[in-house]
Amino acid sequence: MKIFYLPDLGEGLAEAEIREWYIKEGDVVKVDQPLVSMETAKAVVDVPSPYAGKITQLHGKANEIVKTGAPLISYETDEVVADKGSVVGKLETSEKKWDDGDVIIGGAKTKSTTIKAMPAARVLAQQLNVDLSQVTATGPQGLITANDVKQFIDKSPASALTGETESLRGVRRVMAQIMAQSHKEVVPVTIVEDVDLTDLPPKSDLTTLILKAIVAGVKAEPALNVWFDGKTLERKMFDEVHIGLAVDSAEGLFVPVIKNAEAKSDQELRQTVDEYKKSVADRSVSPKDLQGATITLSNFGMIAGRYATPIIVPPAVAILGCGRSRDAVIARDGKMVVGKIMPLSLTFDHRAVTGGEATRFLGAVIKNLQQK
Amino acid sequence: MAEITLVEAVNLAMAYEMSVDPDVIVMGEDVATNGGVFRATLGLLDKFGPERVLDTPLAESMIAGLAVGMAARGLKPVAEFQFMGFIYPALDEIINHASRMRNRTRGRLTCPLVFRTPFGAGIHAPEHHSESTEAYFAHTPGLRVVIPSSPSRAYGLLLASIRDPDPVVFLEPSRLYRYAKQEVKDDGKALPLDVCFTLRSGDDVTLVTWGAMVKETLAAANTLQQAGISAEVIDVATIKPLDINTILASVEKTGRCIVIHEAPLTCGVGAEILAQVVEKALFSLKAPPERVTGFDTIVPYAKLEKYYIPSEKRIIDAVNRLMEYA
Repeated sequence: MKIFYLPDLGEGLAEAEIREWYIKEGDVVKVDQPLVSMETAKAVVDVPSPYAGKITQLHGKANEIVKTGAPLISYETDEVVADKGSVVGKLETSEKKWDDGDVIIGGAKTKSTTIKAMPAARVLAQQLNVDLSQVTATGPQGLITANDVKQFIDKSPASALTGETESLRGVRRVMAQIMAQSHKEVVPVTIVEDVDLTDLPPKSDLTTLILKAIVAGVKAEPALNVWFDGKTLERKMFDEVHIGLAVDSAEGLFVPVIKNAEAKSDQELRQTVDEYKKSVADRSVSPKDLQGATITLSNFGMIAGRYATPIIVPPAVAILGCGRSRDAVIARDGKMVVGKIMPLSLTFDHRAVTGGEATRFLGAVIKNLQQK
Repeated sequence: MAEITLVEAVNLAMAYEMSVDPDVIVMGEDVATNGGVFRATLGLLDKFGPERVLDTPLAESMIAGLAVGMAARGLKPVAEFQFMGFIYPALDEIINHASRMRNRTRGRLTCPLVFRTPFGAGIHAPEHHSESTEAYFAHTPGLRVVIPSSPSRAYGLLLASIRDPDPVVFLEPSRLYRYAKQEVKDDGKALPLDVCFTLRSGDDVTLVTWGAMVKETLAAANTLQQAGISAEVIDVATIKPLDINTILASVEKTGRCIVIHEAPLTCGVGAEILAQVVEKALFSLKAPPERVTGFDTIVPYAKLEKYYIPSEKRIIDAVNRLMEYA
């Protein structure tokens, strides 16, 4: 037997009045068949049958009031009513099948294939592009340590060459730092040009001539004789021309500074250069002589090399490189003549110097050299 | 062999064990006449009578206390709490008595009982019907915490829990109660406790989970498979004591580990699992392990539930993060 209790026919209605029964006791009804007309405070509604079966009892007569939740109709039914059971919440139901696949009680029977490595070793291996499977583990239980990765790198073919490692010291160390600093900061542009020195008198002192040509170049284009501060974006112009002279030595690169080159005679210039060469060779050059260059000359052609991309040392903004001068066939007045050529390479810091300024400077240097 | 839902499997296991062991008693609020709030005990009263299927007052402390007394005297009560959120009045009996009966009596008395309760969100119920507080019980020495995730495991693990001589907290994921059906043989065969179940074998990442989250985790594993990522899915099943060795062996193979649980992040069982993974399998890890969990908030009401429960997408996103570490 099933009892159909009066459901709430509206929203929170406590009761309803029976207006008319559509069925009587003993009737057999279907699901959804209208059973009774009920009047509530809001409306008159037909109540459909929730079950199929035979009506055994009507719990009330027309015009009687029935409380919500009280028995309304009793059925005799074989129907098994779906019972979701939940008084709170809604359970998801479906006809889905549990696909449990091949469940393994415990773990899958597989042997450990991962390489055991310290996290630091993994990071290091990734940075150095080392395949951990190639590394010999020395840690406990076959563990690869960071040191194992380093050992692997040390044993790689590139490291197999013999040779002693030495720490850079002194001037060479300073050179390494200054060059790296320059590379990080400066925006260098290098322009190259040949200067025709055919008409230069024999036995001319080329170094002195070049120093004087730089002074002439600076006079024509003062923008190359400045110090530039990349942080504050300030440049400082100078009337004086302090020329740094790159001098090679076994200890490393020295750049002693020829102060006030613009005020020095040829003879004074030559004398200063000679003194610096000597003092660099015997390491007696004073630190104060190594500071304050406003522009630099690298006369690398004394050794070998035509063109170069010389490196500027901040705060200066320009360096002129002179390559090895040589005899060359030159076109002159429509004819080929054999003359003397000196290649020049000017690097300028394009943050502080324009291309126009740089080329005007180079032009003035060349013009000055060719007037001699 | 019938195709049954998870809640029917729970019912089947209790009916089986009651039929073979007269000491098994079922008790709880509305479990007898009504058949239980989720109908887990439906029909047991008719089969086994009112002396073995007991409706109790609405007093969880009393339910647990009665069960402890019965168990100490040799019965095997299976006590139902209607929702996990209702269990807290019984914590004194569970923690102070059930869990330590064996220890307190130096082994003279044991407590062969099962506390059953549905748990977890996803059924659009109020918040204290939706929480997952398995960590409270896992934290308590002397309690076994068992969580099935399919009809067959519900059947086999509940049988094992009833037969176990010590107290078991048996947590049933309510949103899986009727979610799908599975053929379950009513042969009285228990599944082993204290061991994980590996549901999918894989090589790239180990996904560790339990209860209802098995559903989203398996879905994520299937999606990842299509993307060429092979995930191993481990259903922990017994949260306490933890079968860490199965998890470690898997992590040593895959080098990556994600724990997925519905419970809040902080001090969840995932924290314990990852702590042990880091302690014992650190050198096999290719990537930092992760947890994908519920949030440190009260479980929200129905509309926001889907944002609270870790989604398949959150699991896949975590896997993709770990896969960035070659």
